[in-house]
Amino acid sequence: MDKLKETVMDWRLHLTVLAITILAELIGIVQIPIGIGSILLLPLLYAFVFGLIINPHVFKLAKGWIREREVQTASPLIVIAIMPFIAKFGTIIGPSINQIIDAGPALIMQELGNLGTIVIAFPVAVLVFRMGRESIGACFSVAREPNIAIIAEKYGLKSQEGTGVMGVYVVGTLFGTFTFAILASILATTGAFSIEALAMACGIGSGSMMAACSGALANAVPEMEEQILALAGASNVLTYATGLYLGIFVALPLTEKLYTLLGRKTDDTPMTGESK
Amino acid sequence: MTDITPENRSDGRDLDLGYHATVLAIVSLLVWVGQTIGPAKPLVPGLIALFILYLMTMVGLIITKYAPVRLPSVAWISLVGIILTLPWTPGSAWITDRVANADFLALATPCLAYAGLAIAKREMDVAKTSGWKIAVIAVLVMIGTYLGSAAIAEFFL
Repeated sequence: MDKLKETVMDWRLHLTVLAITILAELIGIVQIPIGIGSILLLPLLYAFVFGLIINPHVFKLAKGWIREREVQTASPLIVIAIMPFIAKFGTIIGPSINQIIDAGPALIMQELGNLGTIVIAFPVAVLVFRMGRESIGACFSVAREPNIAIIAEKYGLKSQEGTGVMGVYVVGTLFGTFTFAILASILATTGAFSIEALAMACGIGSGSMMAACSGALANAVPEMEEQILALAGASNVLTYATGLYLGIFVALPLTEKLYTLLGRKTDDTPMTGESK
Repeated sequence: MTDITPENRSDGRDLDLGYHATVLAIVSLLVWVGQTIGPAKPLVPGLIALFILYLMTMVGLIITKYAPVRLPSVAWISLVGIILTLPWTPGSAWITDRVANADFLALATPCLAYAGLAIAKREMDVAKTSGWKIAVIAVLVMIGTYLGSAAIAEFFL
């Protein structure tokens, strides 16, 4: 019960979030046209940035209002705060069930597209950046919680593989919403992919990234909003269900194999430290 | 970005329902204020919509705690939302109409404010020591999963 009391009593934290929410919603959605498309800035992105700006761990100057206590209390709240949003997505998927069944094969097969991390990021990590075994942890998946669990169990988080997965996890935590919002809004306006395909790709396995991604997409193509949200939500649920198994049985063994193939057997030049 | 440390996952038997119920009530109120200001959702219908989502979430959490099948809480919660709004579920049209007054983007705003505030020293240390290479790799990882999924979906559509 101590945890409950402490959380509820931390009025400083909740008032701060209230102020941030009000400010972010007052600014609203901003659209910035760029050459090949347009970038959408969403209130949820401002909220994250405002949170960072007054976080003393990020900016030393911010010390004072937010203390260690608030940082500690805020951490477990993130998972809980996203839950009503997940419920809302369920209510978008339900009425669109027939469309989702129609998209069935594409929806299931695109889960394999998550192996794209190995295709695009792994060669750069090993061949260009000459990274050691941390490239395995960094590139075998999009590094969300289930993937961290896989690495933690197999190698331990203090291993080189662990450093890799944690590095991508943290960068994803910091910049994931931005990256996916920008990717989705640019690709939506270029017309290289159909909107349905882009919506399915938004199911990354993280509530907030899916929110940013599908939000940007729905704002770029407002007439397809319901369909976009339904497909993104369904794909995200599917990723929650399959991501762990894809990681254990396909992605990680494949990355290991590629690592040996690329001729770097044992490596004792971890990239951590040299980049100081 | 759904949570900061993997140990924070609120899945399983030891899930504290009272704690979750209280936090969810606070979050729902924050969303209520936000969605009234931003997307200008109506005040009272908005509160009803958020209350329905609150109930769905709690049902999902209760299932997470007691179901013999172990799934992450988010999977159960979305399943509750899906089943209650399927076309062949009695009363689903009523529920769908009511929850339409909850704005899906505004629902994520407070969560990300908490996320920004929760970045701890450890995360900053990892970001600093891993350096720019891991940042570039992380962006490539995100581009890879997105393009990979979109390309395969495109092929099968």
